Amino acid sequence: MATQDIIRRSGTTDITPASQARIGAVKQVTKLFDATKCTGCKACQVACSEWNDLRDEVGTFQGSYQNPMTLSPDSWNIMQYHEVMDDNKLRWQFTHTACMHCADPACLKACSTAGAIVQHANGTVDFDSDKCIGCGYCASACPFNVPKISKKDNKAYKCTLCSDRLAVGLEPACVKTCTVGALRYGTREDMLFYAEKRVQQLKERGYHNAGLYNPEGVGGTHYMMILHDINKAETYGMPKDPQIPAATEIRQDWLKPLGTAGLLATAAFALMHRVTVGRNIVEEDQPGYVPEDNHEEAGK
Amino acid sequence: MKPQQMIVRHKLFDRLCHWTIVVVGLVTFLTGFSFFFPSFQWLSGIVGTPQLAKVMHPFFGIAMCLLLALMLIRYYHHNKWNKYDLPWMKAVVWVLLQKEDNIPPVGHYNPGQKMLFRAFVIFVLAFVITGVMMWQPYFAPLFSPETVNWATLIHSACGILMLIALVVHVWMATWIEGSITGMLYGKVSRAWAKKHHPMMLEEEDHK
Repeated sequence: MATQDIIRRSGTTDITPASQARIGAVKQVTKLFDATKCTGCKACQVACSEWNDLRDEVGTFQGSYQNPMTLSPDSWNIMQYHEVMDDNKLRWQFTHTACMHCADPACLKACSTAGAIVQHANGTVDFDSDKCIGCGYCASACPFNVPKISKKDNKAYKCTLCSDRLAVGLEPACVKTCTVGALRYGTREDMLFYAEKRVQQLKERGYHNAGLYNPEGVGGTHYMMILHDINKAETYGMPKDPQIPAATEIRQDWLKPLGTAGLLATAAFALMHRVTVGRNIVEEDQPGYVPEDNHEEAGK
Repeated sequence: MKPQQMIVRHKLFDRLCHWTIVVVGLVTFLTGFSFFFPSFQWLSGIVGTPQLAKVMHPFFGIAMCLLLALMLIRYYHHNKWNKYDLPWMKAVVWVLLQKEDNIPPVGHYNPGQKMLFRAFVIFVLAFVITGVMMWQPYFAPLFSPETVNWATLIHSACGILMLIALVVHVWMATWIEGSITGMLYGKVSRAWAKKHHPMMLEEEDHK
């Protein structure tokens, strides 16, 4: 992939940004999940493992069809089975859980390494495993709890939105395989248009709170979800109002500049002091020192 | 001219401890600095590659903190606050300007050094606690991501503050000539002690 395709890179100052040559004609892309259509078949989970050449360890039964229970370095998307009670009736809510590909990614902001996390011109967020050092800052900063550090190689992993497939004009493996058309992929414009129509349709059918999950706190996401009830995002395992965490913002936007200023100021003060005040020596210990009361004798 | 009379200021064990901390701490600080300022990732080259730096930093850090804790314990009795500290502190400007007639006497350590001592106690504790919490891939998964994120912030803030404290430490050590010789070979002259730590001389004579 051409490096002109990378428009943002981690650990890089605004003074030396990633390639800005492109004028923006590359279409922003988005994956769209329709929770109202999903049947929880897990084909997306399998397709992801197949395409990305991953095999998670076989886990143990945890009282749910969900398996594994969380994303892992070897499971980049999982089907979450949420059991919801409505009027004393049990129903399932399925969530296709994967990286949200935030427009303003907390992981990229938190990253300790130049260029280990990048954002492509089409909006997707990708990890460069070759550069990753496994510090885990991305894992602790992500408001969706997505990146996971592998014990095999101490590197962070997450859904790439199949950036290798997108680069050659294919859709992500999970979308390709979806059995009921709950997953879609296309330009952001098209997906927003489709989602609006679908939400309207759901409202007409009685889902008055149906809506699109595209959280503003992280600048919108390149993976959006249509939910039966947008006010109950947490019942889908999604945070209501995800943000870049305060600890990440304080560290990068405040501690860095203030720390740099503090360090330079202290060093500058120390240097000025040394040059201005001069040496601090013990005169008695200098070679040829003569005590003051002996001056006359010494002069004789 | 009669030869200088020397007295012991730092015992052999403490000197070895100090210079081991310098070496181990240098690796810890260069690698830590490279994580905080990605533009200075080349500083991680002290141990080879950025990936190696990530692996080695916690081990060097633990060694630094353990040795520092040991030293702080051994120097604890020299660092208790006493009634001579406040007058000296009030005259700190004269200390910096080297107007020695205006400086009240102090013992083995002056209040500035005692403050540095206390700062190091806090840093050691903060580094070990937050460092373990953010240690991938061993301990970090035991804590919630939010907790690890705050630990990272505190860890970085302590790193910067300790670096500033170390700049002051080196500044003072190189300014007050005779200090570094004292820490290298253990002895300072009686005249040096009289000039900088007069009451240390009294303590010495009352032994």
